[in-house]
Amino acid sequence: MRILIIEDNLPIANAVRTMLEARKFAVDVATDGIAGLDHLLRETYDAAVVDVVLPGKTGFEIVREARAEDVHTPVLMLTARDAVEDRVRGLDSGADDYLIKPFVEEELIARVNALLRRGDKPISAVATAGKLTVDTGSREARYDGLALELGTTEFRLLEFLARNANIAFSRAQLLARVWDYDFEGSSNIVDVYVSQLRRKLRLAGGRDVIETVWGVGYKLSA
Amino acid sequence: MIARLTTVYTAIFAAVLAGISFYAYWLIGGQYRGLLAPALDTPEGQNGYTTAMGHVLVTIVAADVPVLIVVGLLAFVLARASLRPLFEAREREQQFAADAAHELRSPLATIATVAQAARLKTDPETREHLDTIARTALDASALIGDLLTLAREPRPGLLQREPVDLAHVVTTCAREFDARATAANIELRVRAGGAIVNGDERRLRELTRNLLENALRHASHTIVLECGGDATAAYLRVRDDGDGIAPALRGQLFQRFAGDDANGHGLGLSIAHWIANAHDGELELEKGASVPGASFVAKLPRLS
Repeated sequence: MRILIIEDNLPIANAVRTMLEARKFAVDVATDGIAGLDHLLRETYDAAVVDVVLPGKTGFEIVREARAEDVHTPVLMLTARDAVEDRVRGLDSGADDYLIKPFVEEELIARVNALLRRGDKPISAVATAGKLTVDTGSREARYDGLALELGTTEFRLLEFLARNANIAFSRAQLLARVWDYDFEGSSNIVDVYVSQLRRKLRLAGGRDVIETVWGVGYKLSA
Repeated sequence: MIARLTTVYTAIFAAVLAGISFYAYWLIGGQYRGLLAPALDTPEGQNGYTTAMGHVLVTIVAADVPVLIVVGLLAFVLARASLRPLFEAREREQQFAADAAHELRSPLATIATVAQAARLKTDPETREHLDTIARTALDASALIGDLLTLAREPRPGLLQREPVDLAHVVTTCAREFDARATAANIELRVRAGGAIVNGDERRLRELTRNLLENALRHASHTIVLECGGDATAAYLRVRDDGDGIAPALRGQLFQRFAGDDANGHGLGLSIAHWIANAHDGELELEKGASVPGASFVAKLPRLS
């Protein structure tokens, strides 16, 4: 497993290298944005740990440009700031996860391992179902060519349904697969999100895209 | 703020103006009656007097209204001009706090990261020292983050809101805390009823965690964590069976560093209070004389 670190703070870069090498990962370090993007585009990595504030190019720009070049190496963003805008911008730019500095070592390793697991089963960045396209690279969803304005969870739910079009899922299954919760008891959070998605799809001209399957749950028909 | 000040200025002036106008009307009326005294008994005289006073009233009102409008506008301009430096100062202060926090956190991040990396290749004794260094740096950084949060007015703009089921928040936090509660010989009872709010899930978990931390420090045997809701409001409650909150402490419970214990840094409840307020909700200490211990309840508006 080969991991790229893009971080300009040398003590931190070396410390992260030590942490990852102790887990038997092969590690490369780039200390500015331009060299970092260059590495990411030329070499093959299983994951990258990218700082947000970098000389040359920001972490956001690196991820966006890499995704535009069709490089889908899973990226963990490191951010010093805990600002809401940063988190949203990080995930919008195509990063897969983020971690706020300073972090606990176990947390870093857990996040990197989660990214690697996700990378094991490569999925195409664009899911298409009928007139619906969901692009996880650029984080864009379109119906009949019209862009849909979606929140993070709405996007994840629509992506999941689009990838598994024509399959009916129960609410509990959706909770487990989309929300990552093994949740006991009932919840109508799924219904709330489905009705939001339906409203947004209707605005783009899509009727009955997400169907209610009586006694089961929901499915996206294509 | 500006609107309120403008309204107050204008209202005061309007009251004064009304007083003066009424006095003028009364004075002129007296003058007229004196002048017209002999003729006032005849119907024509009475008629003339009424007409004249009507004109007086119209004139006074015609003079007052523009004055009031001008005063209102002036009050607005003045309020804005006098408050602007305050707003600017406040903004500069917030920016300074954010910058200072950032500058303080970066070296702490370096300390914490390097110490954690160094502990991987060293003997057990040094590892313990490095653990202490890393933990202290992480705590200090978390403290700076909390202070920065509290320095801001709690408002929804600082949250990343989405529909969230409080039951998810409660079950996740309960799972996190279960091992610690068991280790401390405390039973954590959970009743999670579905209640969807428009909230920032990460912040709501922080609120729950802070309340649980507090309960864990004070409980004797049991902590009850529950959530649910009715048609309009959702609630999240954490109750412990400890000694409860001393009456003297109740008033300042949510103030910074009001904590009475050495373990917490005293910001946990303030942060929980801040988070509830930012969600347009509130956090209260419930008054229940019959149950021992403390019971905190966060009431949040339910998603319609």
